[in-house]
Amino acid sequence: MATDQGTTQETADDPLPLGLTAAAVAVAVAVLLPLVWLFRTALGVGVAEAIALLTRPTTVEVFVNSALLVAGVTAGSILLGVPLAYLTVRTDLPFARFWTVAVSLPLVIPSYIGAFAFVSAFGPQGAFQRLLAPLGVESLPEIYGFHGAVLVLTLYTYPYVYITTRAALKSLDTTLIDAARTLRHSRREAFRHVTLPHIRPAVAAGSLLVALYALSDFGTPAIMQFDAFTRVIYVEFNAFGRDTATLLSLQLVALTVFILALESKVSGNERTAAGGRSGDVVALGGWVVPALVLCAAVAGLALVVPLGILLTWLGDTSAVGQGLAFRPEYALNSVGVAAAAALVATVAGLPVAYLAATRDSKIATLSERATYVGYAVPGVVLGLALVFLGTTVATPIYQTTFLLVFAYVVRFLPQAVGSLRASFLRVDPALPEAARTLGRTPVGAFRAVTLPLVAPGLLGGAALVFLTTMKELPATLLLRPSGFKTLVVHIWTAYAAGYFGQAAVPALILLGVSGLSMLVILSQEGYDVR
Amino acid sequence: MSDDPRGRSRRRFLQAATAAGVTVVAGCGGQTGGTETAGDGGTDSSGGSGGGDSADDDAAVGQIGSGRSPFGDRSLAGGMSMREMPDLSGELTLYSGRGEALVGELIGFIEELYPDFTVRPRYNAAADLVNQIQTEGGNSPADAFFSVNAGALGALKDAGRTVELPQEVLDMVRAEFHDPDGQWVGTSGRARTIPYNTQSLSAGEVPTDIFAFPETEALRDSIGWAPTYSSFQAFVTAMRVLNGDDATREWLEGMQALGVQEFSDEFLVSQAVADGEITAGFANHYYIQRVLAGRPNAPIATAFTEGDAGAIFNVAGALVLDTAEDRTLASNFVRHLLSAEAQDYFARTTFEYPLVPGVDPIGELPSIDELNPPGGLDLTQLSDLEGTVRLMRDVGVL
Repeated sequence: MATDQGTTQETADDPLPLGLTAAAVAVAVAVLLPLVWLFRTALGVGVAEAIALLTRPTTVEVFVNSALLVAGVTAGSILLGVPLAYLTVRTDLPFARFWTVAVSLPLVIPSYIGAFAFVSAFGPQGAFQRLLAPLGVESLPEIYGFHGAVLVLTLYTYPYVYITTRAALKSLDTTLIDAARTLRHSRREAFRHVTLPHIRPAVAAGSLLVALYALSDFGTPAIMQFDAFTRVIYVEFNAFGRDTATLLSLQLVALTVFILALESKVSGNERTAAGGRSGDVVALGGWVVPALVLCAAVAGLALVVPLGILLTWLGDTSAVGQGLAFRPEYALNSVGVAAAAALVATVAGLPVAYLAATRDSKIATLSERATYVGYAVPGVVLGLALVFLGTTVATPIYQTTFLLVFAYVVRFLPQAVGSLRASFLRVDPALPEAARTLGRTPVGAFRAVTLPLVAPGLLGGAALVFLTTMKELPATLLLRPSGFKTLVVHIWTAYAAGYFGQAAVPALILLGVSGLSMLVILSQEGYDVR
Repeated sequence: MSDDPRGRSRRRFLQAATAAGVTVVAGCGGQTGGTETAGDGGTDSSGGSGGGDSADDDAAVGQIGSGRSPFGDRSLAGGMSMREMPDLSGELTLYSGRGEALVGELIGFIEELYPDFTVRPRYNAAADLVNQIQTEGGNSPADAFFSVNAGALGALKDAGRTVELPQEVLDMVRAEFHDPDGQWVGTSGRARTIPYNTQSLSAGEVPTDIFAFPETEALRDSIGWAPTYSSFQAFVTAMRVLNGDDATREWLEGMQALGVQEFSDEFLVSQAVADGEITAGFANHYYIQRVLAGRPNAPIATAFTEGDAGAIFNVAGALVLDTAEDRTLASNFVRHLLSAEAQDYFARTTFEYPLVPGVDPIGELPSIDELNPPGGLDLTQLSDLEGTVRLMRDVGVL
């Protein structure tokens, strides 16, 4: 449909719709509930001890380390995610559909497996060193430490930026670019003046997810021997210092709130109209080779390194663990809970994202920001908080899939919210208003006009929740029904016992199942995924 | 039914040997499984030591009670058989801090043994389960807890969440391997050792005094540890108990000055020693055996320090929780972990030290009596991890 860019009337001053607001607030309260346990337990630390803990010199050092890690990973993810999204959506890149799946998939690899594989491959005396030894290569650059942690985290989190940016590019009205070109703008200028403002909220949403992930990830800093916040928390939990660990987690929450405030300042609520007419794509011409090399290099590093390492173990190890035979039900369990989490998170995210994008109210903004807190709390902390809720107020659903799916929603809701909010910002309010004047109810207008326009963002958000739920481990271990095994639990069972070889098969299956699911999600977009 | 390994390569054969047990137990289906006893070359022979029980039980007990290991065949010698123990019936929720890959077969085997007995195991890291049990409070569904080290058992005891085990269960192991107040019992043991690379060092060059390590130039920038690993922290805790905080701090700082490398667990420390990436390390004894089981010719061997914190002998163990619905059932289940069959299973599949007299360890290991752990240290003193973590953090190790 052609779009008539009328005057963009702000609806920000409209009174808040009561039902929607109530729904948004209810969602925010539900995901903040686990924090109650966090405060309650942290109070178990004595005041003097707490002050000593929070002001010791290493705290400052760890704080700086975490901040640097977050900054490095976020910058790296933008540098990878945005070009890849542009290539797969806006150009005539060959096999674009394949590359779309391939560059999204690193999100499925649990970070500790990724980190572990990189250490095995590039560590001193690692697989690569052994391959290169005959060529006289004495040693490879050090993989441990800050840059190793940044490299690995970037490779496994850039898909957040990729998927949100891709959804924004999908809904870009290319006639605007054509207009800019007729005004004698170069391609680069057209990108800067038309495309960039259009995708900025989406890039910001993806970057926020990357930043908070980097802040709260346990596995990578531990394996890369980098002293980040989570490593300190992990050590406390292992020493049965629940109180201290929760106190430190509250520090992490405070840092999260700071990052959330910062991001609000940066991204803002700028509206950009989206018509959704996708015209011609950019012909790559001579650039096709470097473009393919970029896609292959990123997907290759992120996917092939861990799989390659896992496969060498498969052929190399002769230690075989008992009872590690793979059963198809593990894959079904994974897909089942991940699909349920994606669905619930998307439905719960709709009112929150819609209000945050269309209204300038404190309640709307606070509800939206609140959904991010659970995501930034390390999984094991959130898992324990829900163990507490499950054994006190939700006894009937403790250790059932209901509470497990709720945990996933608390952890991953912002992935749906961020993606949706960026989509709603791209909808010109004049469009649903036009539908209203033609006699549609508000709901009818939403379904007929708004929903089709936000579909890429909605599915992108669902895909993010799905992929990350597929690999979730710490909360799963604490909350799953007894005997309920997912693919990742199965991988962990082999991995924790040191049977790395037997972690290879389920890891391959995890990638295969996630890849197929991604194809299904992409095919639902109703767009021609070239 | 039984897996005939003849005609396979030796390595394949070793892989299959332990797996064969699973096939038979899982697929027993009422017929007599093939028992692989010492030296019978994998042929079918029905029944173990018959004694009026059903053939089904016999076959299964025989199957897990004796068999092959990567270090050769063995048959059951000492200890009390499960068949002499009280029957189990009812439901038991077991929180297991020991991995499914290591103990799942044993737990499944006990469950199979009794038609009216169901186990609901929950597997997770021991520390996570302790945190979970404490967070669940009085509403915990857990009946029994199976742990990878005494520290986790002590933490639950200190939290007042345990009940006393029957004397006859405690009496099955030596006094130093159960809690003095009878709140938990050790089920298998692990010794602290020094894995070293035999191409870089000879046995005589490995220091026998833990405090000599920081001064050993041969190990400069070539020794590894896993400071976040619970058994390593137990060792540091032992050093604090035996030598005081100041000496421990000095030792940790000395190791850092020596250029010690950090790994995320001790299996990786041992792998790195075998790869020649480092010359020596600190690890529990079975990690070395596990490397050797996978790579029989790996240049790695076991050394011990003498009579100091570096030579402590820690246990994996079990306890009954105060939330147990049927405390008798829970403690009888714990008793089964001390049966001859279970003890032999630990020796053969996890390469640990059996704690019941009469069942020997496996591989190239000294017997439990030849070990040289420090005197005057009781395992319950190793549960004060908080102070250890604080010290390690001050020094900058964590």
